[in-house]
Amino acid sequence: MRSEVVEIRFVLNGKETQVSTAPDRRVVDLLREDLGLTGTKEGCGSGECGACAVLVNGESRLSCLMLAAQLDGKALTTIEGAPEDGRLQALQEAFVRCGAVQCGFCSPGMIIAAADLLGARPDTGREAIREGLSGNLCRCTGYAKIVDAVQAAFEKLQGGPTP
Amino acid sequence: MSQDIPRIGRPFVRPDAASKAAGAEKYAADHYGEGLLWAGAKRAGVAHGRIRAVDIGAAAALPGVVAVLTGRDVPGTNRQGIVHKDQPVLCDDVVRHCGDPVALVLAEDRLVLRKALDLIRLGIEPLPGVFGIDEALLPDAPLVHEGSPNGNILLQAALRKGDAEAALRSSPVVVEGIFEVPFISHAFLETENGVAWQEADGRLVLVVSTQAPFRDRWEIGHALGIPMDRIRIIGPYLGGGFGGKDGATVQCLLALAALHAGGRPVKMWWPREESFLAGYKRHAARMHYRIGASENGELQALDCRLSYDTGAYAHLGGEVMALGMEHASGPYRIPHTRIEGVCVYTNNPIGGAMRGFGVAQVSFAVERMMDRMAARLGIDPLALRRKNALEQGDTNGCCVRLTQSTGIRACLETLQKHPLWRGREAWKAAAGPFKKRGVGMAALWNAMGYGRGLPDSAIAKVELTREGAIRVYNGVSDMGQGNTSALFQIAGEILRQPETRIEGVQPDTERTYPSGSAAAGRTTYTYGNALIQACEELRRRILGWAALMLFADTLDDLELLPERVRYAKAKKEVSLRDIAAMMRDEARVCISQFIMPVAADAPDTGKEFVIGFPHLLFSHAAHLALVEVDELTGAVEVKRYLAATEAGRVLNPQTFEQQVEGAVAQGIGYALSEAVRLEKGRILTPDFATYIIPGALDVPEIVSIAVEAPEATGPFGLKGVGEVGMNGPLPAIANAVSDACGIEPNHAPLTGEKVLALIQGKGAASHAE
Amino acid sequence: MREVFSPESLEALWPLLEAPSWALLAGGTDLLVKMRAGRSDPAAFICLERIAELRGVREGETDLWIGACTSHAELICHPLVERHLPVLHQALRTLGSPLIRRMGTLGGNICTASPAGDTLPPLYVLDAVLELRSQSGMRRVPIGEFITGPGRTGLEQGEILAGVRVEKPGGRQVHHFEKVGQRKAMAIGVASMAALLRLSVDGEIFSARFAWGSVGPTVMTCAPAEALLAGKRPSRGVFEQAAAVAMAAVAPIDDVRASAEYRRRVSGNLLLRLFPEGSTLT
Repeated sequence: MRSEVVEIRFVLNGKETQVSTAPDRRVVDLLREDLGLTGTKEGCGSGECGACAVLVNGESRLSCLMLAAQLDGKALTTIEGAPEDGRLQALQEAFVRCGAVQCGFCSPGMIIAAADLLGARPDTGREAIREGLSGNLCRCTGYAKIVDAVQAAFEKLQGGPTP
Repeated sequence: MSQDIPRIGRPFVRPDAASKAAGAEKYAADHYGEGLLWAGAKRAGVAHGRIRAVDIGAAAALPGVVAVLTGRDVPGTNRQGIVHKDQPVLCDDVVRHCGDPVALVLAEDRLVLRKALDLIRLGIEPLPGVFGIDEALLPDAPLVHEGSPNGNILLQAALRKGDAEAALRSSPVVVEGIFEVPFISHAFLETENGVAWQEADGRLVLVVSTQAPFRDRWEIGHALGIPMDRIRIIGPYLGGGFGGKDGATVQCLLALAALHAGGRPVKMWWPREESFLAGYKRHAARMHYRIGASENGELQALDCRLSYDTGAYAHLGGEVMALGMEHASGPYRIPHTRIEGVCVYTNNPIGGAMRGFGVAQVSFAVERMMDRMAARLGIDPLALRRKNALEQGDTNGCCVRLTQSTGIRACLETLQKHPLWRGREAWKAAAGPFKKRGVGMAALWNAMGYGRGLPDSAIAKVELTREGAIRVYNGVSDMGQGNTSALFQIAGEILRQPETRIEGVQPDTERTYPSGSAAAGRTTYTYGNALIQACEELRRRILGWAALMLFADTLDDLELLPERVRYAKAKKEVSLRDIAAMMRDEARVCISQFIMPVAADAPDTGKEFVIGFPHLLFSHAAHLALVEVDELTGAVEVKRYLAATEAGRVLNPQTFEQQVEGAVAQGIGYALSEAVRLEKGRILTPDFATYIIPGALDVPEIVSIAVEAPEATGPFGLKGVGEVGMNGPLPAIANAVSDACGIEPNHAPLTGEKVLALIQGKGAASHAE
Repeated sequence: MREVFSPESLEALWPLLEAPSWALLAGGTDLLVKMRAGRSDPAAFICLERIAELRGVREGETDLWIGACTSHAELICHPLVERHLPVLHQALRTLGSPLIRRMGTLGGNICTASPAGDTLPPLYVLDAVLELRSQSGMRRVPIGEFITGPGRTGLEQGEILAGVRVEKPGGRQVHHFEKVGQRKAMAIGVASMAALLRLSVDGEIFSARFAWGSVGPTVMTCAPAEALLAGKRPSRGVFEQAAAVAMAAVAPIDDVRASAEYRRRVSGNLLLRLFPEGSTLT
C-alpha cells in the first residue's frame, strides 16, 4: 500500500493552515479526525443529507464529497469558524433562540447552508428558505423553526428588529 | 446561558442548544482517541441460512488488521435482547436476516477495515425463508427459530370486552377494512455508533449513542459473560434515536472488540447503508377491522385482527403488538371489542421500538375506519369522533377506566373552532387546474410509560457543588426530545438558581442512577418527578444548613435566592458556596426514586401480556391535514397541517411545539414516501436516495395548539408528548386524500403511483357501471 | 490512496488523459457516490475544477456557449440562462439541492448520462451540441448522438466534454419542464418532461419538441407526438392525442422507485400540463 501524502495549504477558519495528507482523503475526515474539528458531521457519506456542509471560498460544499487536494489555495470555513463570521454567528444565535435545535446533529450543516443562502441577494420568504435548505435533512424539527431562525438571522443582519 | 432563573411554563431555551449550534457538543460519534482502532461487522447477506464456513484467513493476514473474530470468540451466552435473549452477537450457526453479523474485524483505519470485510468469505448454505406474515403462519412454514414451540409466532393474544360478535350482528351499520403499513427506518442523522476501551484494571468503558445506557450494561453483561459492575457506559446527547437506539445496536460488538484491542480504544460507526441494513425497524403490519355502529353514530362494536411482522428476532415485538392492541379501539367509547393480535417472526429485518410503538399502525386503521363510518352514516367525521370521544371516567376498549387526565374531547373541540376547519369548503373549492383538494382528520391517543409488569422508575440525583452551583445528574438519555431543558426548569423552579448556576450531567452509569430508557414518552415524567423530590429535599437541606449558619429558628423566614440564602428579618445572607463548604460531601447530594403509578384495574383480559399492559396515562391529539392531490401524477402535497395536542400541562412551550412539529414531519414521511422495500428479505432501499424522508420542501407550516389538561401525577402536571403526534399524519392525510378524490387509500405510503392507480381504478369502475 | 491531479489549463490536461483508469472529476457528486457504492474504482483522479477555459457562459450572435465545468448553481442564477433557456433553468431548479448544485456541473450531468439526468431533457429539446476537445482538436456532436445508453457516451479516450452550445430560441415560445419525484428536492426523477413549443404569430403551434427523462435507457423523444402538434391550434383534444402517442413511445422499466406502468402513464399526463383547462383524466 502506497502511503504518499501531499502538502495542502489553505486558509482554515481565517488562519493559514498546512496539512500533510493523502490527496484523496475526504475533507470531512480531514476535519474530524486529523484536525479535531468534529463540528462538521457525517450523516450519509453520499451527499444526500447535508450534515457535512462547509463553506469553501464562501460557497457551501459537501465535505463528504470533497477531496483534500481540492482545498489547496482555498478558504475553508467550518462551523467552528463562526466566531470570525458575522453571518454564521447571527444564524447560530437565531437557531438557539428560535428553537431550531433539537438533537442538533443537522444544525451545523443547516447553519452553513443557510449562510450560503443568505449570501447574494437572498429571497428570505419561507418557501425560498425551505428551498435553500432542501439539501439538509432534519429528522427532529419538521423544519418550521429552522425557517424561523433563518428569517430572524437575516433580519438581525439587516439591522432590523430581533423577534 | 442566561442569568434568568429557568421556570416552569415560561419560555426557556434548551441549555444544550448553543453548544450544538456551535458544533461543540460532542456526540458519541465525535469521540475518537489515541491509537484508535476501527471495528466493523461482516453481515450475512443472506436472509436465512446455515453457516458452513467463515473464511477469515485473507482478512486476518491483511496488514493493519488487528483481529478478526467470529461466534467462537464470544464469551458468555452470545445472546442479546431486551425481553427475549434470542439475538446472537455474532452468529455461530444460523443467520436469520441479511443483516445478521457473522464476523467482527478490528483494523487500524477505515480503509483497511473495509478491505478486510470484503475479504471475508462466508459459506452460508441457504435455507428456505419466510418473508411475509401469511407465509410465516402456514402450517409447514420454515421456522425462523428452529425448535420454537409456537412455530413462527412470537406472541399471540386477544383482548375482549363484552360480546363483540353479538354486538356486530345487531349493529345496523357495519364497516369493514383491511390496512397495511410497511417496515420503516428511524433514519436519525447520527447513525449507530460508539467507542469502547478496556481500562488497565480490565473494566470496559463505552461511550455510545444509546437510549438505555443502564440496560445496555445488562445486555452486554449477559451476552459476553461480564459482570455489570465491570462495565461503564457513558451516554452523551444522541443525534436522534426515535426508538432505534433502544436495545443494543453496536454495544455488544464494541465490547467484544474492546476485549481484543489490547487497551486501545475501538470505534464502530455504522455507515448509513449499514444503518439501513442492520438497524432496527418499525414493524410492518396488516390490520383487518370491522366496526359496528347505531344509526345515530354511537359506536357499538369493534372486531379486529392485527398482524405484526417482527422480523428475525423478538426485540420488543410482543410489547409493540400489545401496545397496538391496547390502542386499537382509538380514543373512543366502544362497549364491545374483540381485538386479536399475532406477532410473527420472518426473515425480514428486525422490528424494534419506534416512536408511536405499535400505535402508529393501528391509528391508521381505526381513523380510516372512522371516516368510512362517517361517510356510511352520512355524519360529519368530526361530529362522529366527538360523539364517541372518551372522557375521564370512561372505560376504554380494553376495560381500563380512565382515571387520569383525558383531553381528547378538548382537542377535537379545538379543531372544530379553528379557521382551517371552518374554512375548509372554501379552501377546497379553490383548487387549481389538475388539482383536487381534501381535508382529513385523525383523533389520537398514546399511552405513556411502561405499563404494568415492569417498574417505570427513575432515580434522580442533584448536588450542591462545592462552588455552590446546582448539578443535576440526568439518568435518562437526551436524544433531542429536550428532557434536559425540563430538568433545568424543574431545578430552577424549586431551587431558584439562574441557568448559569445549573449544570447537567448526561447519563453515565458511574455518575448518574438507573432511570429507565428514553422511550415510551416517559423521559421527563418519571425522571422529572424523581427530580422534584430530590430538589425539594435539597432545598430543605440548604435552608436547614443556612438556618444553622444564620441562627434562624425557623426555615419559614429564609429565602433561597440566586447564589445565596437570605434571612431578611436579621438582614443576613450566606452564599451557597459557603453553605456547601460547611457540608460533608454526602450531605450535598440528594437522591430520590420515583415510580410511575400504574393502572389499578386488572382487566380480565390481556393475560398473555407479561409486561406492558395496561397503561394508566395517555396523551391525546386531534390532527387536521389539508392536502392537494395532483390528478396527472397522483402526487400528494400537504398544504397545511393543524395539531391540537394534550399532554397534561406544558412546562416548556418551545420544546412542546418542537416535539409536535417533529412528530408530524416524521408522520408525513410515513404517510407519503417512506417504506423499507424488501425482496425476499433483501433491503432495496439502503440509502437516502431510495429511502425517502421529508425534506424542508415536503413539510408544510404546522399550526400547533397546546390543549392543557393538567395531570395530577405529573411533574408540575406534565405528561409525555413525544409520541402521540407521530400517529396523526398517516390517517389524517389518507382521510384527506379520500376526501379529495373519493378513493380509499388503505396502504401506506400514499405514493403518487398508488394514488394515481386508485384514481384510475375508480374512474374505470365508474366507466364500467 | 489515489493521486489527485489538478491541471490548471487544457494544455496541462492532455497528457493526463492518456491513462484509461484515471477518472475525470468535476463536481464529484456522481463519481464519488458511485465509488462509495463500489460501482467505480479509478486508479487516480483528474480534477477539472481549476481549468478556467471550461467554465462560464458566453453569448454569441445566435447562440450561447456553456462551459462544461460550470456548476449548476452558477447556471441557475445566470441571467443569460434565465432569459434565453428557461426550460434548462426550470430543470436546474429541480436538480438535487442547493448543495449538490454548488458542486455538480453541466458537463458532469451530461457525461454521467443517467437516464434520469435532469439537465438532459432540456438539452435535447434545445438541440444542444456538445463540444468535445482533445489534444488534436475539437469535434461537435449533437447531444442525442453523444449519449448512447444508460451511463454510456461517445466520449473517446483523450477527450473531454469542454462545452455545450445552444441556439438561442427566438420568437414566441413556451418552455416547460416538470419532474416527478418521490419528494420535492433531492429526488431522482421517476419521470420528467421538457417541452419547447414554438408558436406562430396567431397562436398556432409552429413546432413542438418534447423529451422525457427516466422513462427509457436514455432520454426519450417522440417525433410522432411532435408532428401531431405541428401546425395545430392548441386544444385539449390535440394534447390528449399527443399524450397517447407519447405514452406508447417511451420505454420505462420497473425499479425500486416506481413501476413502468406508472412512468408510462405519467409521461403522457405531463403533456397535458401544458394545457391547463383540463378536467379529470381517466
